[in-house]
Parts: sequence; structure tokens; C-alpha cells
Amino acid sequence: MALNGDEEDFEWEPPTEAEMKVIQARRERQDKISKLMGDYLLKGYKMLGVCCDVCGTILLQDRQQKNYCVSCQELDSDIDKDNPALNAQAALSQVRERQLATQAPVHAADPNAGTASSSQANALVPQPRPEHCEGAAAGGRATLPPPTAPAPAPVATTTLAPTRPLVTPQTAALQPVLDEAEEAVLIKLRWATTQLQSSASLEASIQLCSLITSCANSLRSLKELSQ
Amino acid sequence: MLPLEHLHLEHVLQTVSVLEAVVRRSFGPEGGQVLFTQDTGQAMLTRSGTRILTALHLEHPLARMVVECVWKHSTVTGDGSKTFIILLASILRMIHATARKEPKASHSYNSTKTAEAATARYLADKLLAFGLKDLHDLIAREVVPYGCCVTWEDFTAKQSSSLTDNNNVQKLVASFFQTRLSLTHSDFISDLTCELLNKWKSKNGPPSYSLRFLNDNFPALHTRVSGFPISSSRLIEGQVIHRDFATPLSQADRQPIKAVVFNEYLQPKLLNTGEVLELGRGGRVMEERSIVHFSAWTERSLECVIANLKTLGVSVLLSAVKQSAAVLALATQAQLCVVECVSEDELALFAKLSGAAPVTDCHVIQPEHVAKLTFCRPILLGAHRYVHVAFQASEEMIMVEPCSLVICAPVEGQTEQYTRAFHDAICMLHTTWEPICATLTASQKTLESCNFLHMDSQAASTIGPGCVIPASGTFEFLLNRALQKHCHSYTVSSDTSNNFSVSQILATALLSIPQEIYSHNLRCFLQTQTRILNCISNDFHPSTLFYQPGHNSNPIQNGGPPEGGKLSLHCCRKGDVSSKVFVLDLGLESVSCKYQLLLAVLQCVTSLLQADTILRTHTALHTRSHRLANSSPEDTEDEFRD
Repeated sequence: MALNGDEEDFEWEPPTEAEMKVIQARRERQDKISKLMGDYLLKGYKMLGVCCDVCGTILLQDRQQKNYCVSCQELDSDIDKDNPALNAQAALSQVRERQLATQAPVHAADPNAGTASSSQANALVPQPRPEHCEGAAAGGRATLPPPTAPAPAPVATTTLAPTRPLVTPQTAALQPVLDEAEEAVLIKLRWATTQLQSSASLEASIQLCSLITSCANSLRSLKELSQ
Repeated sequence: MLPLEHLHLEHVLQTVSVLEAVVRRSFGPEGGQVLFTQDTGQAMLTRSGTRILTALHLEHPLARMVVECVWKHSTVTGDGSKTFIILLASILRMIHATARKEPKASHSYNSTKTAEAATARYLADKLLAFGLKDLHDLIAREVVPYGCCVTWEDFTAKQSSSLTDNNNVQKLVASFFQTRLSLTHSDFISDLTCELLNKWKSKNGPPSYSLRFLNDNFPALHTRVSGFPISSSRLIEGQVIHRDFATPLSQADRQPIKAVVFNEYLQPKLLNTGEVLELGRGGRVMEERSIVHFSAWTERSLECVIANLKTLGVSVLLSAVKQSAAVLALATQAQLCVVECVSEDELALFAKLSGAAPVTDCHVIQPEHVAKLTFCRPILLGAHRYVHVAFQASEEMIMVEPCSLVICAPVEGQTEQYTRAFHDAICMLHTTWEPICATLTASQKTLESCNFLHMDSQAASTIGPGCVIPASGTFEFLLNRALQKHCHSYTVSSDTSNNFSVSQILATALLSIPQEIYSHNLRCFLQTQTRILNCISNDFHPSTLFYQPGHNSNPIQNGGPPEGGKLSLHCCRKGDVSSKVFVLDLGLESVSCKYQLLLAVLQCVTSLLQADTILRTHTALHTRSHRLANSSPEDTEDEFRD
């Protein structure tokens, strides 16, 4: 019985550079986990026969009968650092990625990009209820970031305030950008108005009114910018 | 439906890596000690891998299995438990890496994981087969010539000859103690051990006989005394019985003192629970039938027994049980000393050393039940008073001088550590001198290979008794080299490619041990490896791996912190390459212990990888341990049935 058996589709190739790095990192992580667990065992912790549901490491139990997973609770997780919901860094990088993706219609000038995203995010800020978020998001653009992400909202709200101080001297290149932004806000305003007319619930009306208010504010700022 | 959990290779690997992380800091001559403390205030100090692992709280079934394998191995050889775990971990890692590279594709499997698991199992089986079949001969051919055979005669530490050969046993024992005890006391303790062995050495029997005797009777042959410095440990003549006299000692000045051992009660207990005593039976007419008369009758029969003992000249009674007050009173009256509640081990040893059988029926006491002692007196050891006896030399016992070990240490935790170290040293020596064929069971060694060993006239082709080799990695380097040569001889034929990969796995895994020994100083590792391989490749005479008296006119010390001379390598002047002088001062270790270790590890690997799933069964005793943190203890078992 030869080890390198029949010619199946799986042929072993040496791992690439990137894969080697990943393997190396994983091995170091495993070594660190083993060392930590060994230290805890010597401190009197009990090694249980169950594994952690999240990461698959063996669980330890201390004298107070509390279960403890070394890799989840002590080491930085392998995959958590990529999850935007848990890590501000990851969230910021996700926002940057989306900005880069939507950069074709919009120029990459910082304050205007900031303004554009703020005007887009404006639609998000006054929407605490998921169902309304859904409705607003459905009416909005497809490239809007998901409404539940808290990180883009603070990013957007902080850029709301400095919109005025960040006013740069107008150049001819900025004008089409401002026009487009104005048009987007007007579309939103129009949509909110129609929604308001057909809205039956009190709270929905309140939300839509505040949306209209912020759209008006944005229009005012845009007009000031273009002057 | 019982909850199942599938085991993957990663689980096994993780469990064993955790155990390795626990023991690796105590490994090697520079390893540290582990101090365990209990809530009761008891402290236990140890460097023994078995002790550390058995003291951990482990509920994981794989971990418990590994610890049990280690424990079983340690009861046989007495040494090598940390090496066991480190070797086990590295073999599993190698198997894991190999299985991931080349999963067996001859069957179809559900997933890569099952394919990997099957390959791993296959590799483990092949490794074990290789270990049982070829490893012995490989070691005997390639490693043993670089060692030397220590004969039983060579070992008195007192021999002041300058030849280093005579100190081999002392060196072997010393290097063992350096891995178990602190460096300051290991020389003293190893001298003490050699003295003990010398006294118990029987002149015409094989060494393994007396070593086995010592090993089996060690609990009765030592006394622990706490509160004294370690240097007050000593040997005393005869045997110490760990009880005090129950009756006052009589001043009997006649020689020899005669003693009798009783296993039963001299006066039968009248009323035990569940017994019915019927008085007045047997047809004899008694005036009164009452319990008082019955007990008076038993006392009269007791007086007969005592009188019988007096006529035989017996003055000491050793009893396994607690005798009644009447017995003690009558014995005091008759000036007999009684020692009660002596343990069975000590009585068995007493019987063996004195040649007298214990009395079974107290009314029948024959001269063969009488033991002759030179003296029988109290001895004060630490805070306790014990009975000290010495035997008059009989015909069988004329070869040995029975002596007993007194082990002193400042605290009880340390006395326990030293006692275990002594016991394990004797166990290790016993394994070294035990012939290999006798230790392997018939199922493991086929008849043909056994015959082969017997037919082979050259002693170098077997791992003979008493074979030792320089310690600190020499065995592993040599075996690594031998396995790689073995690999290369197989590269041509493709059908034995399995043997190729298992030899490669074993060879690479073996290097992890010297890497761990020299983990503080990688340069030292490389230098040791180079020196040993140079010695082999330059075809020096194999015995030059050992020390030869000082030609080292210009010793070149290796880098690294001085470690009390244990790991220092001296070599000759740089210009003198052709000289065959090469001095290694690394201590000695036993080859057969290493071989047994390898076999035990390979068997453990196979049994670990056989396990596929864990079934959790809940019993009333263990429900607590599977609870989550928040549930209250009054919850019933039924909550766990998902």
C-alpha cells in the first residue's frame, strides 16, 4: 500500500510564501496557547474534556467552577480582528474600502468626500428603528453602508460638524461635485416628502420631518459652499 | 442519545502539547523544580515528570490516557517520563505534518480530515512495527558500540584507582540524580546509593537478582526522617521495624536473641460481630457455662503458649496485629518483648532475611519459626522510636550485608522527593541490568529474533546488560544518524517507501530531545552534534566517545554558562586533529532504558491515534464537573440530556 496512492486530483504542492506565513503564525499561536494552558494547569486549574465552541481549544476550569478558554479570553483572536462589528480598525478600513469603490462618480478631494458621505449618512442618522432603516435604505442607493454599523455613523457625524470650518476656496473643479451632491439631496428631499404625505404613523412622520430638516440643512451648506 | 465528540488529530496534538509545556521546564540537568502546595499546607517538591503529571487535575480523557502511559512506563524503568512526553509530542507533530502532506488516497474518504486521520493511524502502526522489529538491531549495531558495558564488579565508590572505568556505575547513578535532585546533593546521594548497592550485592547471583530484591523491598528498607540536613542520611546495619516496643524491653544478655513472628491473634477475640459463641458444647460437663469461665480458659491456654515460647528461648515477639491486653500482661510477666502492628512488607522482609517462617497456629511453634538476631533494640530516628534488629548470618544470607537506608531532609516534602529518587534510581539500575529478552513479552518479540540473539556470539550485536552511553543527547544523535543511514539504504526500492518515511519521522523526532536539553544555548547543541558526528565519521575507535585520562593539555571550553562541569566539553588542541583523544564529560545513561522508552512512546502513539470519538456518559459522581458556570448544584442530571 503505497502512501502516494492512486493519482487522485489532490497533488501536494509546497505551500506558497503567504501560506507559509499563515502556517507559521498559526503554529506560533498554538504554541502560545499550549504554554498558557500548561501554566494554568500548574496553577491548579482543571483541564476539562470539552472544547470551546468558538475556537475549539480545550477548556480549563478554575477552583470556582468557572470555565475559561485561553485563546478566546487571553489571546487576540485569529479572526476577530477582521470583523468590523468588533474592531474599530476593521470598520474604518471597511469604510475606506467603500469610499474607494464609490470614488468613480465622486472626486477624491477630502472635505467634499467627507461632505458627500455625510450627506449620505445623514439619511442614516435619524433612523433608530430597523424597519424605518430598511425603508430608507431601500429608497437610498445600493452603495450605502449597512445601517447597523455604528462605526460609519460616528465617522459621519464627526465630519458633519467640521463641514463649515473645512470650507476650502472654490475652484472650478468643485462645482460639478457640488451640483451632484445638491441633486442627490434634492432627490432625497423629494422622496421624503412623498413618504410624509403617505405616512400613517406619528413616529414615521416625525422621522421623515427630521430627514427633511437635515436635507434642507445640507442644501444650505452646499449653497454656501458654492458661493 | 449520548453526546458524541469527534476527535481530530489537532485535539490529540493540543493535549499532548499542553502536557509537554508543563514538563519541559523541569527537563534536563538544568531543569527547575516544581513546588505543589495543597490547601492543607502540605508541600510537595519534585522534578519527576510522573509526579508532576499525576498531580495535575485532568479530566480530558486523552490527557488521562497519556498520563497513565507515562506512569506505567515509569513504574517499569523509573526514569524518562519527561523525555517520554517530549518525544511523544514531537512524533505526533511529525506524523501530523506527514499526514497533511500525503494523505492516503487509496480509499475514498469523506473529507481531508478523515484521510489525514487514516494516514496518521497507518503511520503510527508502521512506526510501532518498525520499533518492534528493526529498532533493537539498529541500536545494537550503531549505538551500542559507542557505549560501554558496565560490569557489576566495577562499582565501589571507595576504590581510589585513577582508572575512570571503575566509577561508571557511580557516574550513571550521579547523572540520574542530577536530573532529579539539586546539584549540591547529588554526589553525596549517589555515593550513598553505591554503598547501599555494594552491601546488597550478592557474590554469586546475577546483579539483576539483588537489584530486583532491592526494588521490591524498598518500602521496608528505608526510613524517612524529617528535620535533619540531607548530609545526615546514612546506612544502618540490619532492618528497622517502624514500630515501637509495646512492652518494656527486657535486658536479655544472652546471644543470639530469638524472635518469633505471629500473624494471628494469640488470644482469640471472643465476640466479633456476626459470630455466635456457643458454650458448653463438646460433651464435657462443666460446672458453670458462662463467658467468664470461657475467657479464663482462653487465658490458661495463652499461658501454655507463653511457656512454650520460654522453653524455646524466645525473647521477642513480632506481631502483625494488635494483641489483647492479656497477652501483653502475660508477656511482660514472662519478660518477653512484643512489637505489634508491624506491616506486612516488613514482616515479609524479616522472614526472608532471617529465614524463619511466621507462625500460623500459635499452639504449634517449631524451631523453624524461630529467628536468630544479633541484637534487637530501640533506635531513635528523628521524632520516632523504632525497633532496630540485626540478623545473625545464616547460610543463604552470608553473601549480603543487610542494611537499611535512613533518608534525612529538612522538610517532609523533600524527604518524599529523595525517597522517590532513590527508588527510581534502583528501578533504573534494575532495568539496565535486566536482559532485554526477559523484559519483552513473548507476544512482542518473535521467537526467531530471540533465537537470533542467542545464536549471535558477538556481544556487540545485542543490547547487553549494563550497557551505558554518554548522556545529554548522545544516544539521540547516534540513533538519528543511524536512522538516516537506514533511510538512504531504502531509497532505491519503492515498495519499502513506508519504512523510509517512518525512519525519517523517528529520526527527526529524536532530535527534539537534545534540542530541549540545550534549549538555553543553541550553539552548544550544534557543537555537541558536530563533535559526536566527527567522532563517528573520522572512524575513531568507538570507545573514544568516553573519557580517557587526561591528554587534554589545552582544553577548549565551549560557550555558554558554566554548569558545574556537567556539560563541558573538552577537546584536544586544534592542531592535534589526528589524536584520538576526545573527552566528554556528559554523564552516563542506560541504553536499555532508552530503548524501552522508545517502544513505550511508539505504543502510546498508536493507542492515542486509535481513538476516534469521545462518548460522554454522565454518572452521579461526575455531573458536577460538566456543569456550566451559572447553574445551581441542585439541578438534576436530566438537564444534560440534550
